Amino acid sequence: MNDVTQLLQVFGKDDGQASNELLPLVYKELRLLAGARMQRESAGHTLQPTALVHEAWLRMVGEANRTWKNRAQFLAAASECMRRILIESARRKASLKRGGRQPRLNIDDLELAAAAPDDKILLIDEAIERLQKADPEKARVVVMKFFGGMTNQEIAENMGLTERTIERHWAYSRAWLFKTIRTET
Amino acid sequence: MNTRQAREEAVFEAALGYAHPGERRAFVEQACAGDPALRDEVLALLEADAAAGQFFSGVIETVSRNCLADAAVSAADPAPAVRDEQLGMVIGRYKLLESLGEGGCGSVYMAEQQKPVRRRVALKIIKLGMDTKSVIARFEAERQALAMMDHPNIARVLDAGAAETGRPYFVMELVRGFKITEYCDKNNLPMAQRLDLFIKVCHAIQHAHQKGVIHRDIKPSNILVTLHDGVPVPKVIDFGIAKAIDEPLTDKTMFTSYAQLIGTPAYMSPEQAEMSGLDIDTRSDVYSLGVLLYELLTGRTPFDGQELVKSGVDNLRRTLREKEPAPPSTMVTTMQGNELLATAERRRSEPVKLITALSGDLDWIVMTALEKDRQRRYQTVNGLALEVQRYLANEPVMARPPGRYYRFQKLVRRNKIIFAAGAAIAGALIIGLGISTVMFLREREARKIADDATRREMQLREAAEQGRQNEMLLRQEAESREKVVQAAMLLRKSQYVEADRLIAALPPNQQNLAGAGVFRTLGEWHALRGEWKPAADRFTVLLQINEPDEIYSASMDFSMQTPVLVQIGNFAAYHQLRREMIRRFADVSDPQVAERVLKNSLLAEPDSEVIRTLQPIATYISAYVKGIGAAYPEKTTWQYSALGLYYYRQGDYAKAAASCQDCLNYIGPDGPNSPRLAAANLIAALCDQRLGQPAAAQQHLANGRRLVEAKFNRELDRGNGFSGYWFDWMFARTLLAEAQKNPAAREDQSRSAPNILK
Repeated sequence: MNDVTQLLQVFGKDDGQASNELLPLVYKELRLLAGARMQRESAGHTLQPTALVHEAWLRMVGEANRTWKNRAQFLAAASECMRRILIESARRKASLKRGGRQPRLNIDDLELAAAAPDDKILLIDEAIERLQKADPEKARVVVMKFFGGMTNQEIAENMGLTERTIERHWAYSRAWLFKTIRTET
Repeated sequence: MNTRQAREEAVFEAALGYAHPGERRAFVEQACAGDPALRDEVLALLEADAAAGQFFSGVIETVSRNCLADAAVSAADPAPAVRDEQLGMVIGRYKLLESLGEGGCGSVYMAEQQKPVRRRVALKIIKLGMDTKSVIARFEAERQALAMMDHPNIARVLDAGAAETGRPYFVMELVRGFKITEYCDKNNLPMAQRLDLFIKVCHAIQHAHQKGVIHRDIKPSNILVTLHDGVPVPKVIDFGIAKAIDEPLTDKTMFTSYAQLIGTPAYMSPEQAEMSGLDIDTRSDVYSLGVLLYELLTGRTPFDGQELVKSGVDNLRRTLREKEPAPPSTMVTTMQGNELLATAERRRSEPVKLITALSGDLDWIVMTALEKDRQRRYQTVNGLALEVQRYLANEPVMARPPGRYYRFQKLVRRNKIIFAAGAAIAGALIIGLGISTVMFLREREARKIADDATRREMQLREAAEQGRQNEMLLRQEAESREKVVQAAMLLRKSQYVEADRLIAALPPNQQNLAGAGVFRTLGEWHALRGEWKPAADRFTVLLQINEPDEIYSASMDFSMQTPVLVQIGNFAAYHQLRREMIRRFADVSDPQVAERVLKNSLLAEPDSEVIRTLQPIATYISAYVKGIGAAYPEKTTWQYSALGLYYYRQGDYAKAAASCQDCLNYIGPDGPNSPRLAAANLIAALCDQRLGQPAAAQQHLANGRRLVEAKFNRELDRGNGFSGYWFDWMFARTLLAEAQKNPAAREDQSRSAPNILK
């Protein structure tokens, strides 16, 4: 697991390169973990993605390198991984349900609240893409918070902002995303 | 990010800091004055914010569970469909026999209970998607109250639990019958019989209200009519279920409320549609009964349920909050010919007769029950029932503005013969009176013309002067408003000092509701830092502008200011505030608001006038603690100490001491170190001093002092509704000062410290 530690060290200096190499590693680990978990736990058990992400952190990084700074970087990468895994799965489900087609979702306002979680998550992901263009900083907060289940403190650490700012960003983004979803669908 | 988006974000964030919907709305209007596009954008975001919490919550957990299950099973067979309940299945102690129907929030079955008695019951299973544990916990909390209900027109709720699928279920007395509206129409019941049934329903609901249970979901499908020996008997079902299913207000629960909205919006009161959740009282049931009465009379609901749902949540809420429904007679008049005829026939009447019967009293009664502002509705269900009875007995109804002609008409109908004779005599008198009246009117007309001319000239002069002043004032106001907006934004970023500097110099008389949140927050900020004088200044502005209708938060605002004024020794302002508070809340019927008003009005020595004007509030509280409150000790904590203080100020020391003891006897969720217990100890100490019991006084004083000093030795925090707010502690500290300076206490202290004196 030493390569992960090394990558994390590079992370701070050169963002893009390291995350490209780190992501597949974390991704693989998360999938493995998930599979193991599901065999152990009963099917009805609620699995928190946060728990998975944190467990992956414990397994992938050696004792010595568990500094807070590294951890925040790792969690950010893991959040992005969770996002990919979940969106993949939701897409597959949605297209199965619709007989293999991959249609644009069309849900009117009132059904929105009752939409299936798989459909919801696809709508949310689309809206995050839009937010990414309008305000990349807020989009990052959303990915970490929503997909990674990270706390405000962890996100603040990762982005070098105050917790208060993260909280404000999240409140605004959440409303913005929901408004966008509601008007676009 | 451009400046426009930055402004939008800043206004949105600042608006989130406003907890009260009215204040929040006012703030957004002010911050976006002259820019309706921005305002709409921000309002849309706020709207989205309210619904977004639920939309997002739980999604990740569910998706990841599904996804991970996939990963584990990988190539396995498709996921088994969620198994629903089937006939013959046994849930808890109940065996499902027959399906009785599907509702908005679940399915109803006829079931057989085997133990401890064999009987048939109705079993209602709630849809998945609700937190079963908390549904059942809330039901358990309500159980005591439900058990006390015993009324022939109420179906008892017997049990609740969770099915194996995790869905919560409720077990009720089995009632087989028709929906009340269906029953009436099927049997072509004439108006009077419909009203009789309605009165019975009212009595059932009133009974529940007396036991402290609000139904919250009154609609025809919850009122079934069965025949007992040929007599139709209405039964109200589903008591206590709406409350159990309705979750407390958090992000997550916006959804539940939202989902319920879709169910039966036509019967929902405006305050329920607001989804403020915390504040539904018996008058909400009065509203729903108004809708029911409307439907029994006209065959339609005031607003069409389908259309309400189609219009979307925003419009739905706006409609319920703002749109006046057509009175029943008007509604019937606007029906198409066929529908009108059918509606009349179902009431064994004719179109013209039906319209005549509805217009007048019945219109008034229904419209009063349907008032948007619950203060203006019938305050109790009994009030509504009595009105319908008065109508049936040809007596004047209260809802109708008591016109002389109207009362006369009613009187004539009751006493036809006497009036025939009277009319002849009256005729002769009227002719004589007529002549003198004509002469008087002519003279008055001439005088009025002369007066009008003088007045008009004065008005023109004043208007010109006022125009000049207005212009200046408007400019000042615009500046002042922008500063308030800036301050709200700063507060959202916790920049208190800067915000306070901005608003400190603003003219207090130019503030409006939009500034309420700013002045409240800054007042509390000063108070927590022990800066009482500026705190009092901020609260003074706040109390000038806070919402007149929001009794709950308004009474909090008053509670902050009263101890602060006493603290800075501004008794003139305190006395004035006390008068204002008593005037405003004299007829309040909310135990918590009443308790706040009572105790804060008695912080300083009252005169006999104050004692007298507080009498109704004290009476209300004392009835509450003995009545409904008796079943909820956790909701009568402060009430006893407030009463204690009232009796003390009145001079009834023994009664006061007993009331304090009632307060002290209960250690509630607020813990042993609550401001409530501190206050009760100190009031008890004051009583003991008067009753000549120095030892007990010492003990109570020491207890109270210990709590207060422990609190104020640390940095003061805002506190919360459970363990008490800072102003509750200020209240206790004020009492401590009084108990310590009482002459009786001083003697006591000198006696207890003889060594030092020597």
